[in-house]
Amino acid sequence: MSSNMNNSSYRLWDERRGKIQSKKGGWVVGNGIFNHGYSMMDDLVGKASYMQVLVLNATGRLPERPLADWFEACHICMSWPDPRIWCNQIGALGGTSRASVVAATTAGVLAADAKTYGSKPLLQGVQFIQSAMQDHRRGVSAEEIVSNACAKHRGKPNITGFARPLAKGDERVVAMERVQKQLGLPTGEHLQLALQIESTLMKQFNESMNINGYASAFLSDRGYTAEEIYRIFAIVVNSGITACYVDTNDKTPDAFLPLRCTDIEYTGKLARPVPC
Amino acid sequence: MSTERRKVESRNDVFVERTETKIWLEVEDQHNPYLADSCLCHGYDLLELTQKRSFVEVLYLLFRGELPGIDEARLLEQLMIALINPGPRHPATRAAMTAGVGSTDREHILPIALSIYGGSHLGAGEVEPAMDWLRKQRKHDPGQVAKELIANGTPPGEGDWHIAPGFGSRFGGVDPMATKIANHLSSLPGTHETLTWGCEFARALNSHTLGWLSPAIAAAVFTDLGFSPRAGAGLFQLLGAPGLLAHGVELSNKPVTAMPFVKDENYVIQYE
Repeated sequence: MSSNMNNSSYRLWDERRGKIQSKKGGWVVGNGIFNHGYSMMDDLVGKASYMQVLVLNATGRLPERPLADWFEACHICMSWPDPRIWCNQIGALGGTSRASVVAATTAGVLAADAKTYGSKPLLQGVQFIQSAMQDHRRGVSAEEIVSNACAKHRGKPNITGFARPLAKGDERVVAMERVQKQLGLPTGEHLQLALQIESTLMKQFNESMNINGYASAFLSDRGYTAEEIYRIFAIVVNSGITACYVDTNDKTPDAFLPLRCTDIEYTGKLARPVPC
Repeated sequence: MSTERRKVESRNDVFVERTETKIWLEVEDQHNPYLADSCLCHGYDLLELTQKRSFVEVLYLLFRGELPGIDEARLLEQLMIALINPGPRHPATRAAMTAGVGSTDREHILPIALSIYGGSHLGAGEVEPAMDWLRKQRKHDPGQVAKELIANGTPPGEGDWHIAPGFGSRFGGVDPMATKIANHLSSLPGTHETLTWGCEFARALNSHTLGWLSPAIAAAVFTDLGFSPRAGAGLFQLLGAPGLLAHGVELSNKPVTAMPFVKDENYVIQYE
Protein backbone atom coordinates (compact mmCIF):
# COMPACT_ATOMS: atom_id res chain seq x y z
CA MET A 1 0.00 0.00 0.00
CA SER A 2 1.19 3.48 -0.68
CA SER A 3 0.25 6.92 0.47
CA ASN A 4 1.07 10.37 -0.74
CA MET A 5 1.01 11.58 2.83
CA ASN A 6 3.97 11.06 5.07
CA ASN A 7 4.39 12.27 8.58
CA SER A 8 6.45 11.02 11.46
CA SER A 9 3.43 11.23 13.78
CA TYR A 10 1.70 8.34 12.00
CA ARG A 11 4.68 6.53 10.51
CA LEU A 12 4.20 3.73 13.06
CA TRP A 13 0.82 2.90 11.58
CA ASP A 14 1.95 3.34 7.98
CA GLU A 15 4.69 0.78 8.56
CA ARG A 16 2.10 -1.79 9.65
CA ARG A 17 -0.51 -1.26 6.94
CA GLY A 18 -1.31 -4.45 5.06
CA LYS A 19 1.29 -6.48 6.94
CA ILE A 20 1.29 -8.82 9.89
CA GLN A 21 4.41 -9.37 11.92
CA SER A 22 3.79 -12.27 14.27
CA LYS A 23 6.00 -13.39 17.11
CA LYS A 24 3.90 -16.51 17.51
CA GLY A 25 3.83 -18.43 14.28
CA GLY A 26 1.52 -19.07 11.41
CA TRP A 27 0.55 -21.13 8.42
CA VAL A 28 3.04 -21.05 5.57
CA VAL A 29 1.02 -22.63 2.82
CA GLY A 30 2.87 -25.60 1.39
CA ASN A 31 5.57 -25.50 4.05
CA GLY A 32 3.74 -26.17 7.25
CA ILE A 33 2.17 -24.67 10.33
CA PHE A 34 4.55 -23.15 12.81
CA ASN A 35 4.04 -22.37 16.47
CA HIS A 36 6.72 -20.58 18.47
CA GLY A 37 9.42 -22.20 16.41
CA TYR A 38 7.89 -25.68 16.46
CA SER A 39 6.45 -27.38 13.43
CA MET A 40 2.94 -28.14 14.65
CA MET A 41 2.52 -31.36 12.69
CA ASP A 42 6.06 -32.66 13.17
CA ASP A 43 7.01 -31.51 16.67
CA LEU A 44 3.77 -31.16 18.59
CA VAL A 45 0.93 -33.29 17.25
CA GLY A 46 1.12 -36.70 18.89
CA LYS A 47 4.15 -35.67 20.92
CA ALA A 48 2.94 -32.88 23.18
CA SER A 49 -0.30 -32.84 25.16
CA TYR A 50 -3.07 -30.38 24.40
CA MET A 51 -2.33 -28.62 27.69
CA GLN A 52 1.36 -28.26 26.81
CA VAL A 53 0.37 -26.54 23.56
CA LEU A 54 -2.20 -24.38 25.35
CA VAL A 55 0.48 -23.12 27.73
CA LEU A 56 2.87 -22.66 24.82
CA ASN A 57 0.32 -20.49 23.05
CA ALA A 58 -0.40 -18.46 26.18
CA THR A 59 3.20 -17.90 27.27
CA GLY A 60 5.53 -18.77 24.40
CA ARG A 61 7.12 -21.50 26.52
CA LEU A 62 6.44 -25.22 26.23
CA PRO A 63 6.18 -26.68 29.73
CA GLU A 64 7.43 -30.12 30.65
CA ARG A 65 4.75 -32.80 30.56
CA PRO A 66 4.39 -33.16 34.36
CA LEU A 67 3.69 -29.45 34.72
CA ALA A 68 1.22 -29.58 31.84
CA ASP A 69 -0.49 -32.49 33.59
CA TRP A 70 -0.67 -30.33 36.72
CA PHE A 71 -2.32 -27.56 34.64
CA GLU A 72 -4.80 -30.07 33.29
CA ALA A 73 -5.70 -31.33 36.74
CA CYS A 74 -6.11 -27.74 37.90
CA HIS A 75 -8.47 -27.05 34.99
CA ILE A 76 -10.53 -30.05 36.02
CA CYS A 77 -10.69 -28.68 39.57
CA MET A 78 -11.91 -25.27 38.52
CA SER A 79 -14.98 -26.25 36.53
CA TRP A 80 -17.76 -28.58 37.52
CA PRO A 81 -21.34 -29.09 36.35
CA ASP A 82 -23.45 -27.30 38.96
CA PRO A 83 -25.77 -24.70 37.40
CA ARG A 84 -26.02 -22.78 40.64
CA ILE A 85 -22.50 -21.50 39.98
CA TRP A 86 -22.89 -18.20 38.13
CA CYS A 87 -21.01 -18.95 34.93
CA ASN A 88 -22.59 -22.38 34.72
CA GLN A 89 -26.06 -20.92 35.17
CA ILE A 90 -25.45 -18.78 32.09
CA GLY A 91 -24.69 -21.99 30.20
CA ALA A 92 -27.92 -23.51 31.52
CA LEU A 93 -29.91 -20.43 30.53
CA GLY A 94 -28.37 -20.69 27.08
CA GLY A 95 -29.49 -24.29 26.86
CA THR A 96 -33.03 -23.58 27.93
CA SER A 97 -33.32 -20.71 25.45
CA ARG A 98 -31.80 -22.82 22.69
CA ALA A 99 -28.72 -20.70 22.16
CA SER A 100 -25.94 -22.61 20.43
CA VAL A 101 -23.52 -24.54 22.63
CA VAL A 102 -20.74 -22.24 21.49
CA ALA A 103 -22.69 -19.10 22.35
CA ALA A 104 -23.74 -20.42 25.74
CA THR A 105 -20.31 -21.73 26.65
CA THR A 106 -18.47 -18.60 25.59
CA ALA A 107 -21.05 -16.43 27.36
CA GLY A 108 -20.40 -18.40 30.54
CA VAL A 109 -16.65 -18.10 30.06
CA LEU A 110 -17.09 -14.35 29.66
CA ALA A 111 -19.11 -14.25 32.87
CA ALA A 112 -16.19 -15.80 34.74
CA ASP A 113 -14.07 -12.79 33.80
CA ALA A 114 -15.20 -11.58 37.20
CA LYS A 115 -13.80 -10.03 40.32
CA THR A 116 -14.88 -12.77 42.70
CA TYR A 117 -14.42 -16.06 40.88
CA GLY A 118 -13.11 -17.59 37.64
CA SER A 119 -9.83 -16.67 36.05
CA LYS A 120 -9.50 -12.95 36.75
CA PRO A 121 -8.88 -13.22 40.52
CA LEU A 122 -5.71 -15.13 39.63
CA LEU A 123 -4.23 -11.76 38.69
CA GLN A 124 -4.70 -10.50 42.22
CA GLY A 125 -3.78 -13.84 43.74
CA VAL A 126 -0.41 -13.87 41.99
CA GLN A 127 0.22 -10.21 42.68
CA PHE A 128 -0.46 -10.80 46.37
CA ILE A 129 1.82 -13.81 46.83
CA GLN A 130 4.64 -12.36 44.72
CA SER A 131 4.47 -9.08 46.63
CA ALA A 132 4.27 -10.98 49.92
CA MET A 133 7.33 -12.99 48.88
CA GLN A 134 9.29 -9.80 48.27
CA ASP A 135 8.33 -8.59 51.75
CA HIS A 136 9.16 -11.99 53.23
CA ARG A 137 12.63 -11.91 51.69
CA ARG A 138 13.13 -8.58 53.46
CA GLY A 139 12.30 -10.23 56.75
CA VAL A 140 8.54 -9.70 57.04
CA SER A 141 6.92 -12.73 58.67
CA ALA A 142 3.79 -14.51 57.47
CA GLU A 143 1.97 -13.18 60.54
CA GLU A 144 2.95 -9.63 59.65
CA ILE A 145 1.90 -10.15 56.03
CA VAL A 146 -1.54 -11.24 57.21
CA SER A 147 -1.74 -8.39 59.67
CA ASN A 148 -0.80 -5.84 57.01
CA ALA A 149 -3.29 -7.30 54.52
CA CYS A 150 -6.10 -7.31 57.07
CA ALA A 151 -5.35 -3.71 58.03
CA LYS A 152 -6.33 -2.71 54.50
CA HIS A 153 -9.78 -4.25 54.98
CA ARG A 154 -10.77 -3.11 58.46
CA GLY A 155 -9.28 -6.18 60.05
CA LYS A 156 -11.02 -8.68 57.78
CA PRO A 157 -8.98 -11.45 56.08
CA ASN A 158 -9.93 -10.23 52.64
CA ILE A 159 -6.92 -11.67 50.80
CA THR A 160 -7.30 -13.00 47.26
CA GLY A 161 -6.29 -16.65 47.29
CA PHE A 162 -7.52 -17.29 50.79
CA ALA A 163 -11.07 -18.02 51.94
CA ARG A 164 -13.75 -18.43 49.26
CA PRO A 165 -17.41 -17.61 48.62
CA LEU A 166 -20.18 -19.89 49.90
CA ALA A 167 -17.98 -22.26 51.92
CA LYS A 168 -14.96 -22.47 54.17
CA GLY A 169 -12.19 -24.84 53.16
CA ASP A 170 -11.29 -25.96 49.66
CA GLU A 171 -11.24 -29.62 48.67
CA ARG A 172 -9.55 -28.69 45.39
CA VAL A 173 -6.35 -27.73 47.18
CA VAL A 174 -6.23 -31.15 48.80
CA ALA A 175 -6.67 -32.82 45.41
CA MET A 176 -4.04 -30.65 43.77
CA GLU A 177 -1.51 -31.29 46.52
CA ARG A 178 -2.02 -34.98 45.85
CA VAL A 179 -1.53 -34.47 42.11
CA GLN A 180 1.55 -32.34 42.71
CA LYS A 181 3.05 -35.12 44.80
CA GLN A 182 2.18 -37.78 42.23
CA LEU A 183 3.81 -35.72 39.50
CA GLY A 184 6.94 -35.18 41.57
CA LEU A 185 6.67 -31.39 41.47
CA PRO A 186 8.39 -29.82 44.48
CA THR A 187 6.99 -27.11 46.71
CA GLY A 188 8.86 -23.84 46.23
CA GLU A 189 9.27 -20.75 48.37
CA HIS A 190 6.06 -19.03 47.26
CA LEU A 191 3.96 -22.05 48.12
CA GLN A 192 5.78 -22.49 51.40
CA LEU A 193 4.97 -18.89 52.28
CA ALA A 194 1.35 -19.38 51.19
CA LEU A 195 1.12 -22.35 53.54
CA GLN A 196 2.50 -20.24 56.39
CA ILE A 197 -0.03 -17.52 55.61
CA GLU A 198 -2.73 -20.17 55.60
CA SER A 199 -1.63 -21.41 59.02
CA THR A 200 -1.89 -17.89 60.37
CA LEU A 201 -5.31 -17.38 58.82
CA MET A 202 -6.50 -20.72 60.17
CA LYS A 203 -5.44 -19.77 63.69
CA GLN A 204 -6.88 -16.28 63.58
CA PHE A 205 -9.92 -16.59 61.32
CA ASN A 206 -10.47 -20.28 60.59
CA GLU A 207 -9.98 -19.52 56.90
CA SER A 208 -7.81 -21.61 54.59
CA MET A 209 -6.10 -21.23 51.24
CA ASN A 210 -8.29 -21.65 48.18
CA ILE A 211 -7.42 -23.04 44.75
CA ASN A 212 -6.50 -19.56 43.53
CA GLY A 213 -3.98 -19.09 46.34
CA TYR A 214 -2.52 -22.53 45.80
CA ALA A 215 -2.21 -22.17 42.01
CA SER A 216 -0.90 -18.60 42.26
CA ALA A 217 1.87 -19.64 44.64
CA PHE A 218 2.70 -22.92 42.87
CA LEU A 219 3.01 -21.19 39.49
CA SER A 220 4.94 -18.24 40.93
CA ASP A 221 7.51 -20.80 42.01
CA ARG A 222 7.80 -21.78 38.37
CA GLY A 223 8.39 -18.27 37.10
CA TYR A 224 5.00 -17.49 35.64
CA THR A 225 3.75 -13.91 35.83
CA ALA A 226 0.23 -12.95 36.86
CA GLU A 227 -0.71 -12.04 33.30
CA GLU A 228 0.64 -15.34 31.95
CA ILE A 229 -1.40 -17.31 34.47
CA TYR A 230 -4.55 -15.31 33.65
CA ARG A 231 -4.00 -16.09 29.98
CA ILE A 232 -3.41 -19.80 30.56
CA PHE A 233 -6.61 -20.06 32.58
CA ALA A 234 -8.67 -17.89 30.22
CA ILE A 235 -11.31 -20.53 29.52
CA VAL A 236 -10.82 -22.61 32.65
CA VAL A 237 -14.55 -22.79 33.43
CA ASN A 238 -15.69 -23.92 30.01
CA SER A 239 -16.37 -27.62 30.50
CA GLY A 240 -18.74 -27.22 33.44
CA ILE A 241 -20.65 -24.57 31.50
CA THR A 242 -21.04 -26.89 28.54
CA ALA A 243 -22.33 -29.64 30.83
CA CYS A 244 -24.94 -27.30 32.30
CA TYR A 245 -25.89 -26.20 28.81
CA VAL A 246 -26.37 -29.78 27.69
CA ASP A 247 -28.53 -30.56 30.72
CA THR A 248 -31.07 -27.84 29.91
CA ASN A 249 -30.75 -28.03 26.14
CA ASP A 250 -31.88 -31.65 26.30
CA LYS A 251 -34.98 -30.66 28.26
CA THR A 252 -38.09 -28.59 27.58
CA PRO A 253 -37.30 -25.03 26.44
CA ASP A 254 -37.71 -22.20 28.94
CA ALA A 255 -38.17 -24.70 31.76
CA PHE A 256 -34.95 -24.14 33.69
CA LEU A 257 -35.74 -22.45 36.99
CA PRO A 258 -38.97 -20.95 35.58
CA LEU A 259 -40.23 -17.77 37.21
CA ARG A 260 -43.78 -16.68 37.76
CA CYS A 261 -44.31 -12.92 37.41
CA THR A 262 -44.49 -12.68 41.18
CA ASP A 263 -41.18 -14.49 41.62
CA ILE A 264 -39.52 -11.15 40.91
CA GLU A 265 -39.97 -8.67 43.73
CA TYR A 266 -40.84 -5.25 42.40
CA THR A 267 -39.82 -2.44 44.72
CA GLY A 268 -40.10 0.48 42.32
CA LYS A 269 -42.56 3.27 41.73
CA LEU A 270 -46.27 2.56 41.87
CA ALA A 271 -48.30 2.77 38.67
CA ARG A 272 -48.47 6.34 37.39
CA PRO A 273 -49.70 8.02 34.20
CA VAL A 274 -47.18 9.04 31.56
CA PRO A 275 -47.06 12.86 31.59
CA CYS A 276 -47.89 14.58 28.32
CA MET B 1 -1.68 -28.72 55.76
CA SER B 2 -3.90 -31.63 56.62
CA THR B 3 -7.03 -32.58 54.75
CA GLU B 4 -8.93 -32.09 57.98
CA ARG B 5 -7.94 -28.45 58.19
CA ARG B 6 -9.32 -27.88 54.71
CA LYS B 7 -12.62 -29.53 55.53
CA VAL B 8 -15.33 -27.84 53.51
CA GLU B 9 -18.18 -26.31 55.45
CA SER B 10 -20.99 -24.18 54.11
CA ARG B 11 -20.97 -20.56 55.23
CA ASN B 12 -24.76 -20.75 55.27
CA ASP B 13 -24.98 -17.39 53.57
CA VAL B 14 -28.48 -15.98 53.58
CA PHE B 15 -29.73 -15.47 50.04
CA VAL B 16 -32.85 -13.57 49.08
CA GLU B 17 -35.92 -15.61 48.22
CA ARG B 18 -36.74 -13.41 45.24
CA THR B 19 -34.65 -11.16 43.03
CA GLU B 20 -35.55 -7.52 43.57
CA THR B 21 -35.94 -4.81 40.95
CA LYS B 22 -37.02 -1.20 40.97
CA ILE B 23 -37.08 -1.07 37.18
CA TRP B 24 -39.78 -3.33 35.87
CA LEU B 25 -43.04 -4.80 37.05
CA GLU B 26 -44.71 -7.60 35.16
CA VAL B 27 -48.32 -7.82 36.28
CA GLU B 28 -49.47 -11.40 36.05
CA ASP B 29 -52.28 -12.49 33.84
CA GLN B 30 -55.26 -13.64 35.88
CA HIS B 31 -55.32 -17.03 34.16
CA ASN B 32 -51.61 -17.81 33.96
CA PRO B 33 -49.09 -16.57 36.52
CA TYR B 34 -46.22 -17.02 34.06
CA LEU B 35 -47.71 -14.56 31.56
CA ALA B 36 -47.58 -10.82 32.01
CA ASP B 37 -50.78 -8.94 31.29
CA SER B 38 -49.05 -5.58 31.54
CA CYS B 39 -45.59 -4.20 32.16
CA LEU B 40 -44.58 -1.09 34.08
CA CYS B 41 -41.25 0.66 33.65
CA HIS B 42 -40.57 2.66 36.81
CA GLY B 43 -44.34 2.88 37.24
CA TYR B 44 -45.22 3.81 33.66
CA ASP B 45 -47.28 1.44 31.56
CA LEU B 46 -45.17 0.17 28.67
CA LEU B 47 -47.89 0.53 26.05
CA GLU B 48 -48.60 4.08 27.20
CA LEU B 49 -44.90 4.84 26.86
CA THR B 50 -44.90 3.52 23.30
CA GLN B 51 -47.62 6.00 22.43
CA LYS B 52 -46.36 9.05 24.26
CA ARG B 53 -42.59 8.86 24.51
CA SER B 54 -39.58 8.36 22.26
CA PHE B 55 -37.13 5.47 22.47
CA VAL B 56 -34.44 7.72 23.87
CA GLU B 57 -36.71 8.98 26.64
CA VAL B 58 -37.57 5.44 27.70
CA LEU B 59 -33.90 4.49 27.57
CA TYR B 60 -33.15 7.36 29.96
CA LEU B 61 -36.09 6.28 32.14
CA LEU B 62 -34.72 2.74 32.41
CA PHE B 63 -31.44 3.92 33.88
CA ARG B 64 -32.49 7.04 35.80
CA GLY B 65 -35.95 6.06 37.02
CA GLU B 66 -37.55 9.26 35.75
CA LEU B 67 -38.33 10.61 32.30
CA PRO B 68 -35.83 13.17 30.99
CA GLY B 69 -36.50 16.82 30.33
CA ILE B 70 -36.29 18.16 26.79
CA ASP B 71 -32.63 19.14 27.11
CA GLU B 72 -31.57 15.82 28.59
CA ALA B 73 -33.42 13.83 25.92
CA ARG B 74 -31.92 15.93 23.15
CA LEU B 75 -28.40 15.55 24.53
CA LEU B 76 -28.74 11.78 24.87
CA GLU B 77 -30.28 11.38 21.44
CA GLN B 78 -27.58 13.43 19.77
CA LEU B 79 -24.87 11.48 21.58
CA MET B 80 -26.53 8.27 20.40
CA ILE B 81 -26.43 9.48 16.82
CA ALA B 82 -22.86 10.72 17.15
CA LEU B 83 -21.64 7.39 18.50
CA ILE B 84 -23.95 5.14 16.48
CA ASN B 85 -21.06 3.70 14.50
CA PRO B 86 -17.46 3.27 15.65
CA GLY B 87 -16.66 3.14 11.92
CA PRO B 88 -15.40 0.38 9.65
CA ARG B 89 -11.79 0.73 10.85
CA HIS B 90 -12.46 0.28 14.55
CA PRO B 91 -11.31 -3.19 15.75
CA ALA B 92 -14.81 -3.95 17.05
CA THR B 93 -16.39 -3.18 13.69
CA ARG B 94 -13.72 -5.19 11.94
CA ALA B 95 -14.56 -8.07 14.27
CA ALA B 96 -18.20 -7.77 13.19
CA MET B 97 -17.19 -7.63 9.53
CA THR B 98 -14.81 -10.56 9.92
CA ALA B 99 -17.56 -12.59 11.58
CA GLY B 100 -19.95 -11.60 8.82
CA VAL B 101 -17.68 -12.49 5.94
CA GLY B 102 -16.64 -15.68 7.71
CA SER B 103 -20.31 -16.78 7.64
CA THR B 104 -20.53 -16.82 11.42
CA ASP B 105 -24.08 -17.47 12.59
CA ARG B 106 -25.68 -14.05 12.37
CA GLU B 107 -26.95 -14.02 15.92
CA HIS B 108 -23.32 -14.06 17.04
CA ILE B 109 -22.19 -11.01 15.06
CA LEU B 110 -23.26 -8.41 17.59
CA PRO B 111 -22.04 -10.24 20.73
CA ILE B 112 -18.67 -10.81 19.06
CA ALA B 113 -18.33 -7.15 18.13
CA LEU B 114 -19.52 -5.92 21.51
CA SER B 115 -16.98 -8.10 23.30
CA ILE B 116 -14.21 -6.43 21.34
CA TYR B 117 -15.87 -3.03 21.88
CA GLY B 118 -15.42 -3.69 25.59
CA GLY B 119 -11.70 -3.05 25.33
CA SER B 120 -9.95 -0.45 27.42
CA HIS B 121 -8.41 1.30 24.40
CA LEU B 122 -11.10 3.36 22.61
CA GLY B 123 -13.74 0.99 23.91
CA ALA B 124 -16.28 0.55 26.65
CA GLY B 125 -13.60 -0.45 29.13
CA GLU B 126 -12.39 3.14 29.08
CA VAL B 127 -15.76 4.72 29.90
CA GLU B 128 -16.23 3.91 33.58
CA PRO B 129 -12.67 4.99 34.47
CA ALA B 130 -13.30 8.17 32.46
CA MET B 131 -16.54 8.83 34.37
CA ASP B 132 -14.80 8.29 37.69
CA TRP B 133 -11.90 10.48 36.63
CA LEU B 134 -14.10 13.30 35.30
CA ARG B 135 -16.23 13.32 38.45
CA LYS B 136 -13.12 13.85 40.53
CA GLN B 137 -11.30 16.31 38.27
CA ARG B 138 -14.14 18.60 37.22
CA LYS B 139 -13.81 20.44 40.54
CA HIS B 140 -10.36 21.59 39.48
CA ASP B 141 -9.15 24.02 36.87
CA PRO B 142 -8.93 22.05 33.59
CA GLY B 143 -5.89 23.96 32.37
CA GLN B 144 -4.02 23.25 35.56
CA VAL B 145 -5.00 19.56 35.49
CA ALA B 146 -3.72 19.32 31.92
CA LYS B 147 -0.51 21.11 32.81
CA GLU B 148 0.20 18.76 35.72
CA LEU B 149 -0.58 15.64 33.73
CA ILE B 150 1.69 16.75 30.90
CA ALA B 151 4.46 17.59 33.35
CA ASN B 152 4.22 14.33 35.29
CA GLY B 153 3.17 11.89 32.58
CA THR B 154 5.32 9.72 30.40
CA PRO B 155 4.24 8.96 26.86
CA PRO B 156 4.53 5.30 25.82
CA GLY B 157 7.54 4.25 23.79
CA GLU B 158 5.32 3.85 20.74
CA GLY B 159 1.66 4.23 19.91
CA ASP B 160 -0.94 6.59 21.28
CA TRP B 161 -0.80 8.18 24.69
CA HIS B 162 -3.97 8.22 26.76
CA ILE B 163 -2.96 10.83 29.27
CA ALA B 164 -6.24 10.41 31.15
CA PRO B 165 -9.06 7.91 30.62
CA GLY B 166 -10.71 8.81 27.31
CA PHE B 167 -8.31 11.64 26.47
CA GLY B 168 -5.19 11.34 24.36
CA SER B 169 -3.93 10.99 20.83
CA ARG B 170 -5.32 8.86 18.03
CA PHE B 171 -2.96 7.65 15.34
CA GLY B 172 -0.51 10.20 16.63
CA GLY B 173 -2.82 13.19 16.34
CA VAL B 174 -5.83 14.95 17.83
CA ASP B 175 -9.03 13.22 16.67
CA PRO B 176 -10.92 15.92 14.77
CA MET B 177 -14.24 14.04 14.74
CA ALA B 178 -14.17 13.52 18.48
CA THR B 179 -13.39 17.20 18.96
CA LYS B 180 -16.23 18.31 16.69
CA ILE B 181 -18.72 15.98 18.35
CA ALA B 182 -17.78 17.13 21.85
CA ASN B 183 -17.93 20.79 20.86
CA HIS B 184 -21.31 20.31 19.20
CA LEU B 185 -22.81 18.47 22.16
CA SER B 186 -21.51 21.07 24.59
CA SER B 187 -23.25 23.77 22.54
CA LEU B 188 -26.67 22.19 23.01
CA PRO B 189 -29.12 23.87 25.40
CA GLY B 190 -28.86 22.83 29.01
CA THR B 191 -26.19 22.55 31.66
CA HIS B 192 -23.31 20.28 30.74
CA GLU B 193 -20.81 20.90 33.48
CA THR B 194 -18.68 17.83 32.78
CA LEU B 195 -18.79 18.17 29.02
CA THR B 196 -17.84 21.83 29.24
CA TRP B 197 -14.99 20.99 31.60
CA GLY B 198 -13.86 18.26 29.20
CA CYS B 199 -13.83 20.70 26.27
CA GLU B 200 -11.61 23.09 28.20
CA PHE B 201 -9.36 20.25 29.30
CA ALA B 202 -9.07 18.95 25.73
CA ARG B 203 -8.23 22.42 24.45
CA ALA B 204 -5.46 22.65 27.02
CA LEU B 205 -4.08 19.35 25.72
CA ASN B 206 -4.29 20.14 22.02
CA SER B 207 -0.88 21.76 21.73
CA HIS B 208 0.59 18.45 22.93
CA THR B 209 -1.25 16.54 20.17
CA LEU B 210 -3.75 15.18 22.66
CA GLY B 211 -7.49 15.70 22.99
CA TRP B 212 -10.93 14.14 23.20
CA LEU B 213 -11.46 10.45 22.43
CA SER B 214 -14.93 9.02 22.00
CA PRO B 215 -15.10 7.12 25.34
CA ALA B 216 -14.60 10.34 27.28
CA ILE B 217 -17.29 12.12 25.27
CA ALA B 218 -19.72 9.40 26.27
CA ALA B 219 -18.41 9.49 29.83
CA ALA B 220 -18.90 13.24 30.10
CA VAL B 221 -22.44 13.13 28.73
CA PHE B 222 -23.39 10.14 30.87
CA THR B 223 -22.04 11.98 33.90
CA ASP B 224 -23.98 15.13 33.06
CA LEU B 225 -27.13 13.07 32.56
CA GLY B 226 -26.66 11.48 35.98
CA PHE B 227 -26.00 7.92 34.86
CA SER B 228 -24.05 5.71 37.19
CA PRO B 229 -20.44 5.01 36.16
CA ARG B 230 -21.36 1.33 36.47
CA ALA B 231 -23.69 1.76 33.50
CA GLY B 232 -21.12 3.59 31.42
CA ALA B 233 -19.45 0.66 29.69
CA GLY B 234 -22.69 -1.03 28.68
CA LEU B 235 -24.32 2.18 27.50
CA PHE B 236 -21.30 2.92 25.34
CA GLN B 237 -21.59 -0.57 23.84
CA LEU B 238 -25.31 -0.03 23.31
CA LEU B 239 -24.71 3.24 21.49
CA GLY B 240 -22.17 1.69 19.10
CA ALA B 241 -24.14 -1.50 18.54
CA PRO B 242 -26.16 -0.37 15.49
CA GLY B 243 -23.07 0.46 13.48
CA LEU B 244 -21.25 -2.68 14.54
CA LEU B 245 -24.18 -4.84 13.52
CA ALA B 246 -24.82 -3.02 10.25
CA HIS B 247 -21.23 -3.52 9.08
CA GLY B 248 -21.27 -7.19 10.08
CA VAL B 249 -24.55 -7.85 8.33
CA GLU B 250 -23.39 -6.03 5.21
CA LEU B 251 -20.66 -8.62 4.71
CA SER B 252 -22.60 -11.63 5.96
CA ASN B 253 -23.79 -12.77 2.55
CA LYS B 254 -20.49 -12.14 0.79
CA PRO B 255 -17.70 -14.61 0.06
CA VAL B 256 -14.57 -14.64 2.21
CA THR B 257 -12.77 -12.94 -0.66
CA ALA B 258 -14.81 -9.78 0.04
CA MET B 259 -12.27 -8.79 2.69
CA PRO B 260 -8.49 -8.66 2.27
CA PHE B 261 -6.45 -11.71 3.26
CA VAL B 262 -2.87 -10.76 4.02
CA LYS B 263 -0.59 -12.22 1.37
CA ASP B 264 2.13 -14.65 2.39
CA GLU B 265 4.83 -12.15 1.52
CA ASN B 266 3.28 -9.67 3.93
CA TYR B 267 2.97 -12.22 6.73
CA VAL B 268 6.24 -12.23 8.63
CA ILE B 269 7.03 -14.62 11.44
CA GLN B 270 9.49 -12.97 13.80
CA TYR B 271 10.66 -15.24 16.57
CA GLU B 272 12.48 -13.55 19.42
